[in-house]
Amino acid sequence: MIKVTDLVKTYPGKVPVHALKGVSFEIPSGQFVAVMGPSGSGKSTLLHQLALLDDPTSGRILLDGVDISGLSQRKSSDFRLRHLGYVFQEYALIPELNAIENAFLPLMLLGMKRKEFIRISTELMGKVGLSNRLHHLISELSGGEQQRVAIARALVNRSKILFADEPCANLDTENKGIVLRLLRKLCNDLGQTIIMVTHEPEQREFADRVLWFRDGLLVKEETIDKAVQEEAFHNGFRTDISSDPDYLKDSGQA
Amino acid sequence: MRNIWDDFQASLFLFYKYVTRGNKGTTILTVLVATLAFIQINLISGILSGAVGLIYEQTKNNYVGNIVIQPGKDQWGNKEEYIKQVDLMQRKINAIPGIIGCSSHYATGSVIEYDPDKTGKDIRTISWPVKSIDPDDEKRISELHNYMLAGQYLDESDRDQIIMGREVSGGYGASLEVQSLKGVNIGDEVTVFYHNGVTRKYTVKGIYATVFPLADMSVFVTHKEMESVLGIRDRASEIIIRTDEAHPESYYIQELRKAGVELQDIRPWQDFIGLVLGIVQSFDIIKRIILSIGLIVAGVTIFIVIFIAVISRRKQIGIMKAIGMKEGIIVASYIMLAIFYAVIGIGVGIAVIEFVATPYFIAHPLSFPMGKVSLLIVRSEFVTSIVCMIIVSAIAGFIPSWRVSRENIIKAIWG
Repeated sequence: MIKVTDLVKTYPGKVPVHALKGVSFEIPSGQFVAVMGPSGSGKSTLLHQLALLDDPTSGRILLDGVDISGLSQRKSSDFRLRHLGYVFQEYALIPELNAIENAFLPLMLLGMKRKEFIRISTELMGKVGLSNRLHHLISELSGGEQQRVAIARALVNRSKILFADEPCANLDTENKGIVLRLLRKLCNDLGQTIIMVTHEPEQREFADRVLWFRDGLLVKEETIDKAVQEEAFHNGFRTDISSDPDYLKDSGQA
Repeated sequence: MRNIWDDFQASLFLFYKYVTRGNKGTTILTVLVATLAFIQINLISGILSGAVGLIYEQTKNNYVGNIVIQPGKDQWGNKEEYIKQVDLMQRKINAIPGIIGCSSHYATGSVIEYDPDKTGKDIRTISWPVKSIDPDDEKRISELHNYMLAGQYLDESDRDQIIMGREVSGGYGASLEVQSLKGVNIGDEVTVFYHNGVTRKYTVKGIYATVFPLADMSVFVTHKEMESVLGIRDRASEIIIRTDEAHPESYYIQELRKAGVELQDIRPWQDFIGLVLGIVQSFDIIKRIILSIGLIVAGVTIFIVIFIAVISRRKQIGIMKAIGMKEGIIVASYIMLAIFYAVIGIGVGIAVIEFVATPYFIAHPLSFPMGKVSLLIVRSEFVTSIVCMIIVSAIAGFIPSWRVSRENIIKAIWG
């Protein structure tokens, strides 16, 4: 369970940027949450704070009751390695390593025995549908395959939470579908908590819940109907949704 | 401890992948520069060491041997003019294991006069010491007899014969042109006015050239001749000793003391190279400069390569940190990469020096004023250059990777 209380992030400068202006919410374990909002709304900043990639200005982040908002750099690094997984927008893989080497890197850093981390990562690569691409270099994989390697890497440490920062931004429609279905399946089958930032409204249909952000504030929460979720999972997401819904009307921000 | 080992393994893994899957052209080019820097350091140092080694060898072979015994002090503390009971002392010296031989010299001040056309119109004189030798003893401690440019070496029975170095004769390609007789030839007659008032005429029997200026500025007559001039016998101004060099000179000096050579002044050859010490010191300075420049070249090159590598992988480093990799693992992997470049460069450099440069310089030694100089790789200097190069490379790998790996993760990823 993630509990965020009054989270504030201000970037200092001549004109300070208030990226998050006191955000509070809770996410129960095993939930797939989509974070949405226009550019500059603070959704990526939120993800950076939750994933301990950046320090919040104030506020608290509790993970299973443990306050992780004030950890030192060293402890943050260790916490990320042991408990969190992060999928970046642009695949973010190490080009000198092949697919499975990229996937098992976190386990190697944890000091696991080689035989064991090869077994776990091979198994996971199978789950993301890349059993036949284990020893291919990153440059030999398609964008969708690279993103699936990144997901395998993010999950290999049995992370409590998987953060995904616009994971489909650079993918074609087919690969977007593959990646989103994979995330949904991980949530369904493994009970994986997933927090995904996206600016594409149709992608939210794969999530359980949507947090809508604007100007550094959480302005609306939306629960996705199971039937919509099932439809998206089995038939692909609707491409006819070209703009975000009328959430601003409900939020009173318009 | 386990953590450190795990981190080391992770660094090693990344380093191995950088090398095996990184840009081969960059690796080859960097190794090439490291190789050239290493060769440059050791080749020039080796040539200078060869020159210094030659000076030392020449000093020992043709000037003062390994050890010089000079007269000690009398009971009033004044330096005596001659060593006494020289025959007995030489027998004692020759009995010491490791001593190859010894030779006593008389040395006395004189004025040497040369009248080339015997008309008295062009008399050339120099004020110069004359030494005496026992030719047979001398052959055991010196190489002079092998360096006769013209004429012959002295025989024990020679009384009216004299030999001199090229620099004193002033001919045969003498280079110093100072204090010379300006062109004495074999068979010419010279007159020697000894400091005790005795005057003798000698025929020049031989002229030698070791090409070591200090050795080529001597004039020799036989012992028997000098003893008749000075009116003394069984004495010497100095005794030159050659050792087998199995031990340092200090060891043999102790052995000499034990053998009863107690009252004399015994000194190693190093005490007599004051004139060339400046050259040796200058060569040492040049070697240090070359070493520094070579290390800077190698260090800067590796620094640039690592700097470019980490800058181009800035985002990747941010991502590695984001997944929980410690900064130390990242930095260590780049230090390993830098050391790898240096070690391979050193390895190739050693092969080039061993199998190309050394055989070449043995076949084609360089001509220096003191003789033919070949490559002399001094083990301690060689090891120093290797250690320095590895340290400089490690620093060159550390600085850029440390700077980049300390960057904020978000900044590193998004630029």
